[in-house]
Amino acid sequence: MDIEPTLPIPISYIGGSYFLFSIDAVTYVRREHHICGVLSGTLPQIPQQNVFLGLPLKLMPEEARLLVEKGVACIVDEVKVQKDGMRALMEEDRKKYLRELESQGQHAMRLQHDRKEQQREKALKKIEEKKAAKAKKSAEKQQQEQPDPVNNEAAAKDPVVDLFAHDQQSSRRSSSATAAAAPFGTAMGVTPATSYPPLPYEWSAEQRLPLPDVPSSYPLFAHLHSEGYYLSPGLRFGCQYLAYPGDPLRFHSHFLSVSAEWDEELDLMSIVAGGRLGTGVKKGFMIGGAEKKLEGSEAGDPSSVRTFSIEWGGM
Amino acid sequence: MADIDEAVIHMPSQDASAHIDTDLSDETQDFRMLNSISFLTDGSQQSLPKRGEKDFEPNPTLFQADILSASRQAMHNALSYPRLHHPKTQVVGIYSPNGPIPLRSAQKLDTITEESEPSKPAGTDIGVHPDSCVYVPAPKGQYFKSIGQADRWNRVWLLPEEALYLLERGTLDIRWPCSEVGCADDEGTDDSGIPMSLQAAYAAFMGRSGLTSERYSVYTGLRRLGYTIIRAPGWHDAEEGAETSESQQIALQKPQGLGLGIAGVFRQLLQWLYKPGSATTALGPVVGLGIHRSYDDIYQKLSIIPWYDPTASPSSPAPTTPPYRVVFHIYKPSTPFKKSAPPSPDFRLAVVNARTHTTIPTSAQLGALLESTPLDPPVGEKMSRQLYQRLRYGYRNVILAVVDEGVVSYLRIADSAFGKEKLYKQQNTKGNKGPWRPRPKGR
Repeated sequence: MDIEPTLPIPISYIGGSYFLFSIDAVTYVRREHHICGVLSGTLPQIPQQNVFLGLPLKLMPEEARLLVEKGVACIVDEVKVQKDGMRALMEEDRKKYLRELESQGQHAMRLQHDRKEQQREKALKKIEEKKAAKAKKSAEKQQQEQPDPVNNEAAAKDPVVDLFAHDQQSSRRSSSATAAAAPFGTAMGVTPATSYPPLPYEWSAEQRLPLPDVPSSYPLFAHLHSEGYYLSPGLRFGCQYLAYPGDPLRFHSHFLSVSAEWDEELDLMSIVAGGRLGTGVKKGFMIGGAEKKLEGSEAGDPSSVRTFSIEWGGM
Repeated sequence: MADIDEAVIHMPSQDASAHIDTDLSDETQDFRMLNSISFLTDGSQQSLPKRGEKDFEPNPTLFQADILSASRQAMHNALSYPRLHHPKTQVVGIYSPNGPIPLRSAQKLDTITEESEPSKPAGTDIGVHPDSCVYVPAPKGQYFKSIGQADRWNRVWLLPEEALYLLERGTLDIRWPCSEVGCADDEGTDDSGIPMSLQAAYAAFMGRSGLTSERYSVYTGLRRLGYTIIRAPGWHDAEEGAETSESQQIALQKPQGLGLGIAGVFRQLLQWLYKPGSATTALGPVVGLGIHRSYDDIYQKLSIIPWYDPTASPSSPAPTTPPYRVVFHIYKPSTPFKKSAPPSPDFRLAVVNARTHTTIPTSAQLGALLESTPLDPPVGEKMSRQLYQRLRYGYRNVILAVVDEGVVSYLRIADSAFGKEKLYKQQNTKGNKGPWRPRPKGR
């Protein structure tokens, strides 16, 4: 069931942001590398809401960099790739791609048709059952001189239910009629999520980009990530990163983390404010940064990061 | 995640409707909740799922692992749902990489246009926005009521964000043009028949003509909620986005004419008579000598600190600095919206990237931003009764959308006028309602 995409995963760099478009890549980095990103697209099946969002997945520069440093992904200049790729597309590939899409579309059409057919049958069956039950009930009712109230109630309810069933049935019938009216061979139009195919799943050197620029909080990010935390942008909650102990799908976050330079002077007020904020939402307020070693070794080394958690004592 | 009402989950006796304020989109929701929605129905009676219950921390039990993998599977399924277009309802758009172009048949006159002048968009010639880059030859569906601009060949031209949004929600099928895919068969149309993938559409439209991913996040976020949202004049960084001052002038005249009936004039005359010169504070007591017939006079004299009056028209509006500039006009779903003549917007919105602008905007930046919006005084029955409503509403307002890597926070900034709310006058009008009673403290 677990799908492994071919590595390295291409991270699309578009207009200053990093995106993932392949669902396999999205689930893979989440599962294997604890990178969640932010889903930023509209779900086509329920487009008028903001609770569940869909592809593409937007990655923070920190996340993109981490994946590249792990050798899992590479940054691709998507605008260039698309432009070059589509221009260079061979006639043969184009036709093949179109055929593929058409067969996908036909498959989708068939599925939908079947589904409608099934629904219709189910609805019809239900109605039959109901009618049978009703007939039985009324027969019983006639037999009994004094019908018990429950039965009576059910009988009273039944016409309503039946009415709805009829309604549904008729709507379904009409919809299946439209499906039948369209010739069975017609294919649905498909808008694929990614461009591979028709474009080749490989990138030339000039289409690849160097490591993403990251803010100075990257050492803290990398440190927390290496400790197994899942991180997400946290401005909405008054911090830099929200740190989750496990997948945010299933767990609440434990820390509101803010990065600081090792020698940075912190305003006491900001610590108090952060501590109160964190305690108010049952989380720890965490300040962390990379410790500057005297030997002058690597400054942003995640292993030299120290973190401090602040909680409101409430004595 | 920050979960103020986390306690609610553990108190099942609480009425769920009392916590309707919880914004579900604040949190990563468990995608298993989506399973309960049937996508096969027509979408009219779908209700959103309730929030799922989350665990405190991971433990090595198989039970938890199973739930997690089920959640991920549900997410995978939900995200891999394809964007399909039924042939009956399919709307096809064609990407026009060089901006608006005239109809091909009209273009035949100079056959080399495509190669020779790719730089100059002809948008103004055919009466659509020059930033438009997708056209829909046969527009149908409700979305074109508030999206796009028609040219004289009845094609609807879409701006990049509009095209991308429609494609993303599975409403529009955008095709590559022949010129971009280098296909030879030229049959009088630009449509190459190759659909643009979501990825290709992002690559083509994002970053085009000022559309940053932050702006796009705001655009789609509000569109998904049902708002109508259009570009404001200040969209491009080079342009100054201040709106014409006509609306300001009209609005300004109203408050000036208030409350000056004949009685008012008479009182002013009396005040002038009893006023022993206004600039006496340097020499004597603030209130000074003279006849004081009411406390109002005394309070008025006591208010020696100048206060800010937002209704006073700025002498010369300060130039706004991007990103603190109105880039979107927003209309509530209930506002009747006409594409050809958009009404005055319900909200004005500026988009800020939290990663590049990490500090709170300066007073000068905010002031210029507020001055660029028209005067919107707190009027209405409720506002005139409630002081704090008035203060909160302010005299000008603007919404800042702060985007942190795809996560949007909306802040409303209003220009409150504390100086205009004369508390001593308020007490006079309400004074005879009985003695003031302190509210009991605590709950």
